[in-house]
Amino acid sequence: MSGGAALALTLGALTLIKATPIAYAALGGVVSERSGIINIGLEGMMIAGAFTAVVFSAMSGSPLAGLAAGIAAGALLGLVLGVAATTFKVDQIVAGTGINLVAAGGAAYGLTLIFNQPGASPQVNALGSSFWILVAAAGACSIVLHVALYRTAWGLRLRACGENPRAVQDAGLLPLRLRLQAVILSGALAGLGGAFLSIGEVNLYSDGMTAGRGFIALAAVIFGRWTPLGAAGAALFFGFFEALQYVLQGRASWLPSDAMQALPYVAALFALAGLVGRVRAPAADGIPY
Amino acid sequence: MKRAAALAGGPAGAILLAFVLAAIAMLVAGVSPADGFSALFLGSLGGRNQIAETLVQTTALLFPALGVALAFRAGLFNIGAEGQLMIGGLAAGAVGAQLDAPGAVAAVAILAAGFAGGAAWGALAGWLRARFSASEIISTLMLNFIALSLASYLVSGPLKASEASGAQTAPLPAASWLPALIPGTRLSIAFLIALATAGVLAWLLARTVFGYELRACGAAPEAARRSGIDMARMTLLALGLSGGIAGLGGATIVEGVLHRFNTQLSPGYGYTAIAVALVGDLHPLWICLAAFGFGILESGGLAMQALADVPKDAIHVIEGLIVLVLAARRYVATRAQTVPL
Repeated sequence: MSGGAALALTLGALTLIKATPIAYAALGGVVSERSGIINIGLEGMMIAGAFTAVVFSAMSGSPLAGLAAGIAAGALLGLVLGVAATTFKVDQIVAGTGINLVAAGGAAYGLTLIFNQPGASPQVNALGSSFWILVAAAGACSIVLHVALYRTAWGLRLRACGENPRAVQDAGLLPLRLRLQAVILSGALAGLGGAFLSIGEVNLYSDGMTAGRGFIALAAVIFGRWTPLGAAGAALFFGFFEALQYVLQGRASWLPSDAMQALPYVAALFALAGLVGRVRAPAADGIPY
Repeated sequence: MKRAAALAGGPAGAILLAFVLAAIAMLVAGVSPADGFSALFLGSLGGRNQIAETLVQTTALLFPALGVALAFRAGLFNIGAEGQLMIGGLAAGAVGAQLDAPGAVAAVAILAAGFAGGAAWGALAGWLRARFSASEIISTLMLNFIALSLASYLVSGPLKASEASGAQTAPLPAASWLPALIPGTRLSIAFLIALATAGVLAWLLARTVFGYELRACGAAPEAARRSGIDMARMTLLALGLSGGIAGLGGATIVEGVLHRFNTQLSPGYGYTAIAVALVGDLHPLWICLAAFGFGILESGGLAMQALADVPKDAIHVIEGLIVLVLAARRYVATRAQTVPL
């Protein structure tokens, strides 16, 4: 294999890996926003998933138990946001920000409390090469969700909740229950994305390891025009820039490493700005019912 | 009277809740709350040096919290105070290390540079929203990471002090440092500047046409638009001013505490500032009190960790829970739904 082909293969594989956690979180964002709840807490749910997965893998020795716990932790925070947004009708942006602060602080507190080791956890049993299953599953998930949203009664009702919850209620359904379901699923997906970061890509949790991916995922939701397949595609786009940063390191010495680190964030800004007048959010997105 | 009742139901209740939560966090860590709280308060208010350090933290939180509050009042969710603080500090450090001017002139010029740097960073998000409908929630957060990369690049390259081994700018000449408020401590007159800024902001919001229009954009965007307020201009101004105030805070840390710029400028003041602004009911004068409360937590947290073995990060969990609880009061005025998110 020539050097160029090997490099392209590396870049392609890395793109898939880096896109996976963003894709899971972005799918969570799509489900939540389609039901009418803006999930700013995706970042915190990823942190919770990443940290909890490491704790449970350390305690049980099984990375699968860690993965399940990570998903559950994300879902739990999803429940918190869901109850806050439906029962208490709070400002979803403020509540989501609170979740992000709690999760970041909680993981840092937990590192000291559980591992007696601030900053980063010790190494734990990770998924190893079977993490590729999760990469493939992200693709499968986006197809399944796409079909569920556009070809099932549940999907139709969920989307109706995000457009006109009153009409859903008039049809004899419970919009708040549908929203709660959606945001719990959203948290579970973000938790899965977080767990992929900690026990998939590597084998430990360190403070700040999610590095704003939950917010990049929100950008991916918009870039993907609130559809699962679109969001997955946008995740690939952002994953590519993250992968590029690793491939360029050591190969393009003229480009400072700090500039490479900023690449995914700059890409997200350009993606947001490039969509002027061409996207439309669900009509009732972010409005309490 | 009405305001006092609102405070009892909201911020005051939240502070009471914070104490309960802190006690739980201490119990979880296996420490008696009596020991934990005594360490917290001795470490933050137990003497002249401790009080000075608490006021240093209060100052560092007050600037970005005022900036955040201003944007919130305009209906804009600026979560980029961290990046605006960083760029303000960077601009202050860059100008301060190069500037050859008499002390007082230099001191003012450095503060102005910090304000301008933060304002530019905030206005960038404002421009992206006004011109391209890019959600300021995402763009300000992205700009936090970009600010850190930019600062990290500049201090390890072009702006690096030639003699220094670490990544930082050259020190500011001593003549341009902010004078100490309590000699022998890190507390400078930055504290007074922060209080003055709060006063000016309170006046601006309550007593000027600009402040009225700004609040109108947050409280009733549709009515504001129909009454002829230029929303694009207000978005740009509000986020620019919000960033400028945070940037001013960054400059005072450079000029009053570090006396040079490096990327360790902030341990997350810009994020904690969101909690401070909400606890302060988005009102500049209450925010001063809230910043003092959080200043106690920040400076006492270290003592609590050292003396009572309660991890300092417990403080940040408590801050987040307060924000969650306060969310119920619908602080952020009706957000304009014109931007897709």
